[in-house]
Amino acid sequence: MNSYERVLNSLKKKQTDRVPVVPEVFGVTAKAAGYSIYDYVTSPSRLAESQLHARRLIGHDMVFAFADLSVESEAIGCELEYKEEAYPVVRKPLIENLKEIHTLDLPDPQKDGRMPVVIEATTRLRDVVADTCIVAACVMGPMSIAGQLIGLEGLLYHIVDSPDEVDKVLDYTEEVTRSYGNALLQAGAHCHIIFDPVASPMVVPRDVFRRLELPRLKRLFREFKEKGSLVSWLSIAGNTKNILPFYRDANVELATVDYTVSIPEAFDLLGDIAVNGNLRPFSFVSSSPEKIKEEAKKCLKERGNRWGYLLGSGCEVPIEAELDNIKPLVEASLEFSP
Amino acid sequence: MKKYPEIDELIQAIVQGEAHLSVNLAEALIAKGLTIESIIQDGLTAALQSLNAKCTNEEFNLLEIVLAGRAMMAVMDNVIIRYLPPARATESVPEKTLVLGTIEGDIHELGKHVVKMLLRSSGYRVIDIGKDIRPEEFVERAIQQDAGYIGVSSLLTTTIPSIRRIKELLNKAGRPDIKVIAGGGAIQQTSRDDLNVDFVAQSAFDILNYLKNLQDEG
Ligand code: B12
Repeated sequence: MNSYERVLNSLKKKQTDRVPVVPEVFGVTAKAAGYSIYDYVTSPSRLAESQLHARRLIGHDMVFAFADLSVESEAIGCELEYKEEAYPVVRKPLIENLKEIHTLDLPDPQKDGRMPVVIEATTRLRDVVADTCIVAACVMGPMSIAGQLIGLEGLLYHIVDSPDEVDKVLDYTEEVTRSYGNALLQAGAHCHIIFDPVASPMVVPRDVFRRLELPRLKRLFREFKEKGSLVSWLSIAGNTKNILPFYRDANVELATVDYTVSIPEAFDLLGDIAVNGNLRPFSFVSSSPEKIKEEAKKCLKERGNRWGYLLGSGCEVPIEAELDNIKPLVEASLEFSP
Repeated sequence: MKKYPEIDELIQAIVQGEAHLSVNLAEALIAKGLTIESIIQDGLTAALQSLNAKCTNEEFNLLEIVLAGRAMMAVMDNVIIRYLPPARATESVPEKTLVLGTIEGDIHELGKHVVKMLLRSSGYRVIDIGKDIRPEEFVERAIQQDAGYIGVSSLLTTTIPSIRRIKELLNKAGRPDIKVIAGGGAIQQTSRDDLNVDFVAQSAFDILNYLKNLQDEG
């Protein structure tokens, strides 16, 4: 059974040879391939090579077409600050007055910023793995892009002070997610992960998620699905317990949950939506392979005999982690065969 | 304290992020005779401190906290400032110049804002170098600006090693004369030696007394 079949079967709640292992590994893959984070986020060949090399070393079940959280905002026009060994960050908000949103063009995924980099990396990954392994392309969700365009604090104030204008900003950022997401599918991605950390209940109350985020996710996932995405995957970190019950309505089919939500709680709150998680991301930095294996086995035990579970991290594995700390996930899955 | 039960209303209003209401309540309290110091300490700082639990437990919610922070700043910027002596044009002499920032790894800045306003209105030249600032930058900027003091704010105990480095770097640069003053929630319980600084301020007012004593001595 190859990785592709393993993941798809599991998502369809069918028997697999072992539980699929899908930790969110992005920039952390660069070092083992001999590249810096800067190389990884700016070069399609190096991104693809890092992903493939890490998969050979770890033996996990997916490759990711993902550079960093600021690809969309850079393509819109935000200025980024690049570092050699850290992800680039947005230097300062692009707009102060929300009315300026109308002056922003929609980025062209084939031309603007590093969208073409990730698009080309997607194609390269797909050319190599074909249909033996899923290529998941990652896109930022509407709230997080908005947070970068107007600054997180600015966004939060406006949510309270000028909700109608925030709605318009989010209509724009939703469109950015959509057009970039579609381009990634065309480039060969099997599916997307939508990341939207700003929509986490740690940042905005549940009601804001329901009002501003849910309808947008619902549309985005429906359209991506119509365009051939294999699975509608949402990754929001933090304690998401109070929004997980909305996921079904948002057309989510696979949810990454953080370590603050236990696997049984996630199953309970998500109904039959598949679950990915929930190892503490920082333990890949601070812990030992033995301990990680133990933690992974605990997850596998908690999973019981429910299908639709992919063993992984609750959020991105930090870039300073060692790949040796990720391998135990595969070992645990092999030893704990269902 | 209980002379002014309305201070609880002020705390409530800030916690709920009601900037307008907070401004009005603060104004009313001052009219009744509550001191500026008490408004800042027992009202504003206490309100933010009461969000303590919100920062760690399951209820953590950034929106609520930043709204409370905004309400607090609104009181500072619209009320308190009018009762402080206006910031005077100060000479750029080291004894009146302080470089102020939040230490590397820490983005809390409300306390720093309070300190800045108080010092400015007491005739100090305050150069605010921002938040998440490396020890090297504190030292470079202080030397460049010919400052007599570095004020470092920290609300995270994990930043203590970085605070300690400021003095080391000053010594290395041959400037042990520049005094380092630390303040902020995380470090009020620490000593000068723990932090390797000249003074640990318990509040924004504390630094005023400290600086005044220094000048009286010198
Ligand atoms: C508001 C707040 C935030 C806001 C900050 C908004 C902003 N723009 O500043 C946000 C939501 C962003 C935030 C984030 C986090 N926070 Co917070 N936050 C608080 C909170 C609720 C209030 C702090 C505050 O502004 N108080 C009001 C001001 C006026 O008081 P003050 O800073 O103490 O300042 C007074 C004096 O100390 C003095 N002073 C301050 N600085 C200086 C400097 C000098 C030179 C002098 C002389 C005097 C002085 O003057 C002021 C007036 O007297 C505290 C709770 C608490 N008990 O303090 C937690 C708290 C500080 N946060 C905490 C934590 C853990 C975090 C996070 C790590 C949370 C997380 N899990 O992500 C992040 C940190 C991110 C980072 N890298 O910095 C912990 C720190 C624990 C510790 N001991 O290390 C606290 C104590 C909460 C808790 N109990 O867990 N936080």
